Amino acid sequence: MSDSQQTQTQTRTTGSDQPLETTSGETVEETKSEWVAYDFQGEAKLVAEDLDVYYGGDHALKGVSMEIPEESVTALIGPSGCGKSTYLRCLNRMNDRISAARVEGSVQLDGKEVYQDGVNLVELRKRVGMVFQSPNPFPKSIRDNISYGPRKHGDIDTGLLARVLGRDDGEAERELVERSLKQAALWDEVHDRLDDNALGLSGGQQQRLCIARCLSVDPEVILMDEPASALDPIATAKIEDLIDDLAEEYTVVIVTHNMQQAARISDQTAVFLTGGKLVEYGDTEKIFENPESQRVEDYITGKFG
Amino acid sequence: MAGASQSRLVEGDTTATDAVAGATVGLSAVLFALAVAAMFDRVSLTGTVAGLPTVTLLGGLLTGLGVAVAVFGLGSRFGYVETEPDASAGLIASAGAAVPWVVVGGGVASETLGLGTVGGVVGGVLVGGLAFVGTAVPREDVGSTVPLGALLAFVGAVFLTGTIGPAWLWDLGWEQQASITAEFLVPVATLFCALYGGWAAAKAYGRFGARGRHMGAYVLVYLNALSIVAFLFVLIAFVVVKGIPGLLNGVRVGAGVGPQVFGAFELPVSLPFVTNGVALLNDFQGVLPAIVGTVWLVVGAVLFAVPLGVGAAVFLTEYAERGRFTQAVEVATNGLWSTPSIVFGLFGFAFLVPRFGNRKSLLAGMLTLGFMLLPLVLITSREAMLSVPDEYRDASAALGVSKWQTVRSVVLPAALPGVMTGVILGVGRIAGETAPILLTMAGGTFVPGGQTVDVLGGFEFTGSPPFVANPELLQATSALPYQLYALITAGVGLGSNVADPDGFRWATALVLLLVVLSFYAIGIGARYYFRQRLRYD
Repeated sequence: MSDSQQTQTQTRTTGSDQPLETTSGETVEETKSEWVAYDFQGEAKLVAEDLDVYYGGDHALKGVSMEIPEESVTALIGPSGCGKSTYLRCLNRMNDRISAARVEGSVQLDGKEVYQDGVNLVELRKRVGMVFQSPNPFPKSIRDNISYGPRKHGDIDTGLLARVLGRDDGEAERELVERSLKQAALWDEVHDRLDDNALGLSGGQQQRLCIARCLSVDPEVILMDEPASALDPIATAKIEDLIDDLAEEYTVVIVTHNMQQAARISDQTAVFLTGGKLVEYGDTEKIFENPESQRVEDYITGKFG
Repeated sequence: MAGASQSRLVEGDTTATDAVAGATVGLSAVLFALAVAAMFDRVSLTGTVAGLPTVTLLGGLLTGLGVAVAVFGLGSRFGYVETEPDASAGLIASAGAAVPWVVVGGGVASETLGLGTVGGVVGGVLVGGLAFVGTAVPREDVGSTVPLGALLAFVGAVFLTGTIGPAWLWDLGWEQQASITAEFLVPVATLFCALYGGWAAAKAYGRFGARGRHMGAYVLVYLNALSIVAFLFVLIAFVVVKGIPGLLNGVRVGAGVGPQVFGAFELPVSLPFVTNGVALLNDFQGVLPAIVGTVWLVVGAVLFAVPLGVGAAVFLTEYAERGRFTQAVEVATNGLWSTPSIVFGLFGFAFLVPRFGNRKSLLAGMLTLGFMLLPLVLITSREAMLSVPDEYRDASAALGVSKWQTVRSVVLPAALPGVMTGVILGVGRIAGETAPILLTMAGGTFVPGGQTVDVLGGFEFTGSPPFVANPELLQATSALPYQLYALITAGVGLGSNVADPDGFRWATALVLLLVVLSFYAIGIGARYYFRQRLRYD
């Protein structure tokens, strides 16, 4: 694979039609397979192999192979339009919701292929939750936001019929709401107004509510698409602390534009560069202090991107 | 050029001029109100207001307003009043000032001076052109006050001198014997003059320039909004005043005088007009059958149209791929909504009536109106669902919730206020619709109380499929708009039981208005409730 890429490097241009030149002017290799082969301790939670995504005629993600270790924080960084969000949305098949998107390749969750016929999308998305860039709570009460997922999955039933039949899960619901909000470090701030509309919360609180909502269905992986980009520094700090805590139980994959944030919170970092290619992947410390790729170093030090 | 050289952030001691300009604006508002009142006969032109003959008073006020405006403009021009005028009042203001002067010049030349049509045109163009030049060429403070002030003073003088008095009449000499009376001309002329005067006075109050333009536009917009509200109010007040005597005919208030409800309890109010039909031996006649008919019509139409419309909207927005098909459906629904109601009536008459016992019936009327309501419910529901943010759908999908559950629990609740708006608008239209029920449901002119439709009590079980029947639905019944139409076309004296047919008609109209407004109230209340659940404050 690396041979073919080396020959390609001479002729092809990247998605933005920029020649692969560093700031020092010399043409370099785009990437090498050993730069992205991350050797980590423990089990791989998610494995992507030769993942290609096309939006219509646009080749947005090119042959990405990447293993994500469990119970850790993996940061995906790179300039805008480099495919990191596209990659993230492949992991729980949210790209299916875009009719023009076409995905080729393989993603495995605990060794089970995600991209095959007969995959239960409900089950997949319960296990692989997602938090979006801008906080998007439902226009419902805080309580209803949390219990929405479990209710729809039939895990909690507080409907009229259930109450009449005496199968009310009100107690279970209270526990679930409290547990999720505590996990998302929001309980202390909202425990006395759970019936208030969630849209009345501040942006940072709304985002933590969205994380709590994601946790309510008991996922194994949490995908975060720039969760703090719409928030102020204090709210961002709270989200970062929260991500740190979550990594003890959950596998967190986070897309971020903020390199300091990636350096602070992640265990390993994957760098995507223009053109939808994964360029380098490894321990966060190594990526930030001693990257293999000259382009990654330029990007991280701010010379490019 | 006092104002052009410098502009100040804080106004100096200008309270006196402010007060004059403000009072001028207030005067024009008073004139505007007087003109509207005169137009609707609330103020008699032949009578007096505050001790003065109405036309004289109007003339005096107009003259005063015109002089004040012009003096303010000239005072600004010669530096007695500190202002910040632009170089010119602008093209639109000039054209606006020219129009009334064209009318005045043309009228005076052709009629007063007897120069005929050609002379009228020439006079109009000359005078209008002069006004245009007089507005456009001088500095803004003169341009936007003097021509208009002169117009106001001229019209006021015409009223003051009695050239146009309360008995004035201009016979147009057409075959149709059309003529312009003082009752029409005086209020209209006063109205427009008050608008022009108010605009110029407001500009003066704002010291011309950008702020003056803002004030002028503000006054125009405000008066415009006010007159719309006033018109609505006058319309409703008109019907209420005319209808109240008939509605309250035979009303009694007191313990136990009203009709029984729930078997034992008796209402403390007796209102025969809404609780009776028409019968020979009734002390007081009423329109109960038509009220009940209208309510059932609307309920039936809503029950038919809302599930279908919302269901179709869900399919089109959430499930169907956007493309030719959805576009075709959109065009078709828009066309259907603009289809004249008589066409719907004809459809009901030709298609529905033969299928329901071959006679006009409540059910046929319900379905016809339901078909009319359907496109609007579909259009507004679709708009409401399209405006639900995709973030909600993404969030729900990311939790692994299926599409239908997302639609039911997130999209529909968020879209409900919009759907309600559509239903409110639609009900307002169909509840007053006459043509379709004329063809599908028509009842009588004076309907006996015994013909009151009893839909709930009409259900009965039968021995053969479909096991439930409701003959009441298949009866012809009456509805308020149709009864009103029948009453008006029936002429006086047809209903010998009804002592005062005219009062009966107005009271019917009032009841129709109240029924439609109460449907509105229910709809708006429901929308408020649903909206409140989505909001946080």
